[in-house]
Parts: sequence; C-alpha cells; structure tokens
Amino acid sequence: MTTISIALLVLGIALAGPGSRLLASARWPGRDPVGALVLWQAVGLASGLSLLGAGVTYGLSPLAGSLLPAVEAFWHNTLALRPWAGLRGPHLAVLAATAVLGGRLVGVLLAATVRTLLARRRHRHMIDVLTTPWPDRPGARVLDHPLPVAYCLPGLRSRVVVSTGALDQLDRDQLDAVLAHERAHLAERHDLVVLPFVAWGTALPWSAGVRRSQFAVASLIEMRADDRARSECGAAELAAAVRTVEGGAARTPITFAAAAASRIARLEAADPPMPRAARFAVRLAALALVAVPTAVLMLGLWPLA
Amino acid sequence: MAVLGELERAVMEALWAAGGPRTAKQVQQALPDRALATTTVLTVLTRLQRKGFVARERDGRAHRYRAVATREQHLAELMRDALDGAPDRGAVLASFLGGMAADEQEAVRRLLRRRAK
Repeated sequence: MTTISIALLVLGIALAGPGSRLLASARWPGRDPVGALVLWQAVGLASGLSLLGAGVTYGLSPLAGSLLPAVEAFWHNTLALRPWAGLRGPHLAVLAATAVLGGRLVGVLLAATVRTLLARRRHRHMIDVLTTPWPDRPGARVLDHPLPVAYCLPGLRSRVVVSTGALDQLDRDQLDAVLAHERAHLAERHDLVVLPFVAWGTALPWSAGVRRSQFAVASLIEMRADDRARSECGAAELAAAVRTVEGGAARTPITFAAAAASRIARLEAADPPMPRAARFAVRLAALALVAVPTAVLMLGLWPLA
Repeated sequence: MAVLGELERAVMEALWAAGGPRTAKQVQQALPDRALATTTVLTVLTRLQRKGFVARERDGRAHRYRAVATREQHLAELMRDALDGAPDRGAVLASFLGGMAADEQEAVRRLLRRRAK
C-alpha cells in the first residue's frame, strides 16, 4: 500500500504543479475552449483524488495489506471509539492532515455556494428595483448609469443588465453581440463551471496550480461565450463591442483591460477550431486523467496475488 | 411576479422622491397608478422591508416607511458587485465593463466601506 500511496502522491503533485503549468501556457485552448474547460476540471478532480487517496492509503496502511480491509478495520475501531488503534506517529498525522484537507475542500465549496447564492439574491433584488425592462429586447434590463457596462446575473432567475452608458456607445449589431455573449453564459451555466475553482482558490490560496486554474477557467468561459456570440452575430461586431465598452486600458481594471485585449486579439485572429480528432483526443485525455488515480486506488482495494 | 417587481420599483421611486418616511396611504397617493389598493401597496412595502430596502417605524397608530439608503447608494453597491464580480468571483459574470478610472473605483469602494462600518 505504501507503493500505491507514493504513486498517487507523485501523480497528484505532478498534476497540480507541472501539469497545470503546462495546460495554462498551452496555446490550443483558444481553439477549443470547451475541451480545455473539461481538461481543467479533470486536472482538478484527478489531483484532488490522488492527493487525498495518497493520504488515506498511507495513513491506513498499518491496519491491513490492502485498502478495503484497512478501511473496514478503521471503521470498526472508530465504532469502538478508538479510531487511532493500530496507527502510530506518521500514519496518524497523515490521516489527520488528509481529513482536515478533505473537510476543508468540501466545507469551503459549500460555504462558497451559500455565499454566492446569497450575494446573487441580494444583487437580483437590487437589479429589480434599480433597472427597467428593456422593451426592445425581452429579458434584458436597462440600468440608468453613464458607465458602459453589460453583465449577467446567473441562476435560476437570471438577469441580463445593460447600462444606458453602453446603450449610448454601442450600435444595434454590437448590442446584439453583447446580449448573445451574456445569454451564452447563462444558457451554459458558466457560473457553475467557475464555482469550484473559485471555492478552492479560497481554500488553497497558496497553491499556484489552483490560481492558474482559476485564471484559465475565467478566461475560457469568456472565449466560449464569445464563440457562441460570434456564430450568431459576427466576430467584427463583438470585437467592436468589447473595444467600445472597454474604452481604453488606462480607465479599466487591469484584469479587465488585459482580458479585453486578448479577447479582441482572439476574435480578430479567428483561428480555425481544432480538428475533430484533436478535440476528441482532449476529451479522451480528460477521461484518462480521472480514470488513472481511480484505477490506482482500486488496485489497492484488494490484496495483490 | 413581473408585475409585482414593477410595483416594487414604483414604490421605491416614490419613497426616494419623498425623501422621508411615508405611510402606505401616502405612498399609494404618490404612485403614478392611483387605482391601486392601499393594501397592495402595503404588501409591496412589506416585501421591500424583507429585502432590506425599506425600514418601518411606528408613528402613533400608523406605520411609516422610509428608504434605507438612497438610490445612488444602491447604485454604487450594484456597480461595485459588477466591478468586483469578475473574473474570479462567482456571483456575477461581467464581461463588458469599462469607463471607470481606477481612482473612481477606489472612491466607490471607500464610500461603501465607510457605510459598512
């Protein structure tokens, strides 16, 4: 079981470190944002599974030669109110650390979900008192504010908000492109895609891999929404809208200015989507990433002949 | 539901325009649609109170309602949510955003921090 736990540990660290660095610096995600999003989710899931699996396997290894009987023995000890029976020193410490980490990941995800839902409800109430329905575009609401802003509030009772500042500066086609972009966010529930990465960013603020994933996922959902909007309304209109709203790098938040510049560049370059075979390979790789640690854990379930 | 939302907005506009506490009856008279029953206005006021937009105070036998914050303060809070919302927070997905200089944003944040204390 020690071999298995070491293998899982190596895999987990490799995915969280070099693996995430590799994916974050790759150029192809711009040509297949959905595939890249799936791959990021697989990297997150697989590295988490590997690291927690490594901890459990190592921690319980003194109890039995394989995972299943070891878990069984631990369960019996716990029921007898002596969960530490048969475990000493490093094993106990690793087990405790794994439990703390696992608990923290789950707890933070739950807390972030609740916090997000509450913040959203508050924001929706504000939208409903401060904005007026836009007669021309059903479902969209107009906010009387000079700043050019367009955004969406995701959720079951979603809202799309456009400011009068944006209405003044954008022409009809550009507005349609903006709305198509926001509707793509809502239709594909990009908020749910982002949520675990945001949550685990707060759970593990020191992890460079988590930070990288957070940034990559945030820009990938924008690319994806851009792709859908451009297929409906044309890339030129969308790029013009991004440029108009963003207004000038000096006057916008740094992250937005950088994101806007790279979005415009991507829309104008119009790289062809990845070939079908490559896209298939990306999804297969994602599946394999999750399957490998699962298989390694399974290996430890039964004693090897 | 949509109709109720529009009523909430109308009632808030009336309270903001009034600038001080008003009874449900007074709010009803200030609304553009005078045909509304005062009980309907009362229902809307109760909903707004639950949402934290309106506070109720007792004045003799009647209740008077006032807006908790000005329209501008709520607007500032809304804009701050939108500005802070992306790209790494989950509540709001803001993809088109611009025009506010960094120092203006900082001023809005400072204002909100002071209000929160």
